[in-house]
Amino acid sequence: MKELIKTKGVKVAAKEVDVVTTGTFGAMCSSGAFLNFGHSDPPIKIERLTINGVEAYHGGAAVDCYIGATKMDPNRPFEYGGGHVIEDLVSGKEVEVEARGYGTDCYPRKYIKTEVTIHDLNQAILCNPRNCYQRYNAATNGRNEVIYTYMGKLLPNYGNASYAGAGCLNPLTNDPDYETIGVGTRIFLGGGIGYVIGEGTQHDPKNGFGTLMVKGDLKQMSPKLLKGASFTRYGTTLYVGVGIPIPILNEGLARKTGITDDEIEINLLDYGIPKMERPVLKKVKYSELKSGKIELNEKEIPAAPLSSLKKAREITYILKKWIEKGEFFLTAPVERLPKDTVFKPMKMTRGVPLARFIMEEAVTCKVYENIKDVAKKIVEKEVNHIIIVDEENRIVGLVTSFDITKAVAEGAKTLPEIMVKQVITTLPDESIYSCARKLEKHKISALPVIDANGKVLGMVTSERISALIGKGENIEG
Amino acid sequence: MKAELKFNNKRIAEPIISTVVLKEQATINILKAHVDETGGKVFVEIPDDKAEHVIKAFKDLGVEVKLEILAEITEDCIHCGYCVTLCPVEAIIYDKESLSVKMIGEKCIQCGRCVDACPTKAIKIWR
Repeated sequence: MKELIKTKGVKVAAKEVDVVTTGTFGAMCSSGAFLNFGHSDPPIKIERLTINGVEAYHGGAAVDCYIGATKMDPNRPFEYGGGHVIEDLVSGKEVEVEARGYGTDCYPRKYIKTEVTIHDLNQAILCNPRNCYQRYNAATNGRNEVIYTYMGKLLPNYGNASYAGAGCLNPLTNDPDYETIGVGTRIFLGGGIGYVIGEGTQHDPKNGFGTLMVKGDLKQMSPKLLKGASFTRYGTTLYVGVGIPIPILNEGLARKTGITDDEIEINLLDYGIPKMERPVLKKVKYSELKSGKIELNEKEIPAAPLSSLKKAREITYILKKWIEKGEFFLTAPVERLPKDTVFKPMKMTRGVPLARFIMEEAVTCKVYENIKDVAKKIVEKEVNHIIIVDEENRIVGLVTSFDITKAVAEGAKTLPEIMVKQVITTLPDESIYSCARKLEKHKISALPVIDANGKVLGMVTSERISALIGKGENIEG
Repeated sequence: MKAELKFNNKRIAEPIISTVVLKEQATINILKAHVDETGGKVFVEIPDDKAEHVIKAFKDLGVEVKLEILAEITEDCIHCGYCVTLCPVEAIIYDKESLSVKMIGEKCIQCGRCVDACPTKAIKIWR
């Protein structure tokens, strides 16, 4: 389509092309499947169950459940989860079901363990509340440490960048006004046939972040196009292959499906910031992203998607073949997707505890002070940490009482010899959850609170955080 | 040079490596061995001057020989190419023509950066 428009123009393209097939193959955490096991004899009303060690949700009738892609096996965290269970089922493998109930007059059984394959299930229905993001942000990491996120493993100091989605192959990007994609649209799903059953959760059309809710028969699907995955230290997920045909009903749709990677721009965000409001570092085009290198702060950084362009393209070909052979029929939506809704943040009725609320006075000294004086300060002020600052009160290092003891034992004379120069710090508006995570991750017991210019404002200590939690008081509000 | 020897199930029980050692008078060093339902895999170091004859001898005895494989990508790979951004030595490349990821095993320095970054855990490093 893109070529045709370039060479012959929109009018001719609209006449010549009947359908444009789109596709995407990416990690879609909001995925899962409804399973029905049938009744055992004697029967059980399942209250809790696991499949291959992964807990499934059971809040419906006796032997129905929903297995979600991100639920992990507690014995294999970040390695095996609901997404892998779904892939194993689709592969025809046996899975172990273990279920417990409380026993009733009609369902006396309290425990069952059995092995089943997908063929033994009455229904196995993939039902994904949110798939197929119209577009998504790209991610990089400004911290000076590696971070593991749902956007992948991000190297320190903007060392690499990740993005999602297939760019100009993306279904909703080719039908941005949702003219042909709506409730009831028949689609390619995981290697089988599925349907759009509505807008997805967090559907955000006003900002160009539309999403779809989809379902399909798991029994038709293929493990090549539905794949369990794990993002180390973040969680498990499911890669879902989705393909959607877009009938070219008018010239407008011809033009819209002619969209190129050069015309799709997304925000590059710093995922090193542990808050929802992440700063936009720059706008970046898919054409730049797909080149494998993007420019940031006059440096080139490697960029790659976490989704598979190869599989997305394969999906568009398979769908095209199905349509040409008459094995797949297009449907008109019975209802359009909303175009005017927005995605709101969570309403929070209690304040968030921030570093600034719990910080204590920081005890500081200058780099030229001698070790004995610093030791005196530690005793006088009854602290374990001294922050070393310059004349402007900007942080240059940190010493602990242990460092001072060690200096005395080993005969070190000056602070620069013993101080830590790469200090882990926090900003005043970081939440205490983020502080606690830093303390735990780096096995340290205090965090200097600094402003954007590095000036020392105070100190958050692990004692203070423990005391808050230890008192059992509600730390919210 | 390093090589990976693949034995099928029929050949596992045979003393093939020692046969080749004696036949070619080559000091073959076994770095790693693994046997499972599909057969056996042995990772060896072969003296460079005798490599050609040794490899031929293994092949004659029905052993599959892969050279210089320090790391490989299994068929779990979905070709997202994310590993490419983590490799410090360009041992993994993304071919824009075929939209596929390729591992150049002999370039790999086995740093392991890519291993935990792969969403389908498709990268195996011989250590």
